[in-house]
Amino acid sequence: MNANTAQASDNASNYSQDEVDLRVDQVIRRAIDRNIPGLADIPQSESELEVGVSPKELVYSRETARLYHYESMSDEVYRVPLLFVMSPVAKGYIMDLAKGQSLVEYFLRRGHDVYMVDWIAPRANQKHLGFGNYVQDLVGDCVDKVVEDSGEADITLVGYCMGGILSACYTALNPNGPVKNLACFTTPINSDGMVLHKRWVSSSNFDIDRLIDELGNIPTELINQSMQALRPLQRNAGHLNLLNNVKNDEFVKAHLRFDRWAVDQLAMPGEFARDWTNDFLKKNLFVKNELELNGQKVDFGNITVPFLHVAASFDHIIPEASSKDLIGLVSSEDKEEIVVRGGHVSLVAGGNAMYRLWPKLDEWVSQRAE
Amino acid sequence: MADNKDMDPMQLMRDWFVQSEKMWSDAMSDVMANERVAESSGRFMQEALHTQRMFSESMGQYLSNMNMPTRTDILDLKDRISQVEDSVNAVLVELRETRAAQPASAKASAPKKKPTRTKKAAPKKSA
Repeated sequence: MNANTAQASDNASNYSQDEVDLRVDQVIRRAIDRNIPGLADIPQSESELEVGVSPKELVYSRETARLYHYESMSDEVYRVPLLFVMSPVAKGYIMDLAKGQSLVEYFLRRGHDVYMVDWIAPRANQKHLGFGNYVQDLVGDCVDKVVEDSGEADITLVGYCMGGILSACYTALNPNGPVKNLACFTTPINSDGMVLHKRWVSSSNFDIDRLIDELGNIPTELINQSMQALRPLQRNAGHLNLLNNVKNDEFVKAHLRFDRWAVDQLAMPGEFARDWTNDFLKKNLFVKNELELNGQKVDFGNITVPFLHVAASFDHIIPEASSKDLIGLVSSEDKEEIVVRGGHVSLVAGGNAMYRLWPKLDEWVSQRAE
Repeated sequence: MADNKDMDPMQLMRDWFVQSEKMWSDAMSDVMANERVAESSGRFMQEALHTQRMFSESMGQYLSNMNMPTRTDILDLKDRISQVEDSVNAVLVELRETRAAQPASAKASAPKKKPTRTKKAAPKKSA
């Protein structure tokens, strides 16, 4: 018998049989508690995990844009309707994640008339859609449709992430248009703040033209991987944290919803990817006010309507360094920037969003929605 | 050391990983942002595109010979289904507009009451 075995044998003999039985019982009980509640009442497939459940109807569709109008939850609403513009590479249900955890539902209950521009994956024959098409044609059409459908001449435009830059560009190009108020969340304006992506596309071996020629539209997998690369181990940590909380059904369901959205990205039309890479990431034209769309110069100084920008303090996708310049570019007298504690996604849909961002946004919009 | 009967060493490891994940991720991101790594990634992507094109062509020929659909065929099918969805959406939008344009008396069911746009904001709290 070697020294280690002898030591183990001595240790074992220090515990009574009852103590050993109790310890074994605890380990088994822990294994059961972890596994069985984790399996019960948890959706067996993605189709059972309901997301985006607030009732809505399709108002308009064109190319990859889908404009939805949400069913009102109050008898009296503010005069000015609110239009959310999602990022073209992400699904809109992050703003309507689940009953009780939905930015859309929150606003509906507080008397706002809510519309949303959601996007679908582009087809192969839609690879010609560029940044200008998205701003002037798709967002522009949806804004006009909201005006027509609501019967009001003014709207409040709220853009999230790339949806924010689409909204800001639209407002800058249409300073006398229907946009009465503009709010942007985590909106990229300065590519110098997006170090990793800028470094990659600036390398001499990165050829966006060849990528688009070969692939047409930039596939979902590539979009996902480029996002994951910004924080490579976050997903693994999320899965381990899930194991730590597997007894908590609500935590598990929330995790599954977030995880589903995180990998549910949309493909990007080829021309949009070319414009984004060249005009934003490489040349950084947005922050310099040098962007041109279909011959028109985009000058954010043309934005004079009340403006709100919201940044997230722990945003690794659109860091503050890439979004903070927007507030300085707009000419609005009534403008405000707030930094809310949270990440890029939890800012909008996390468990604490209803205590942090949502009330602030509701107060800001409602004060200007009459 | 106190004998904590509830201590789960695997949980301790998971907790450690979750709490230190950002530090490791930042370190990995810093490595990936290195110019040499970026150049290599770009070169890798070019090679991968070339390899994928060669593989697609040869596999496409093989599948055609076997009388089986290629990925391109399936993507074409997906695009056609998407076009059908677009047509259905156009019909839904048209129906909605037609329904809205009908006078209330012509509607089969009682029209849904639209909310009034008269809501006022709560007075702003003084600082």
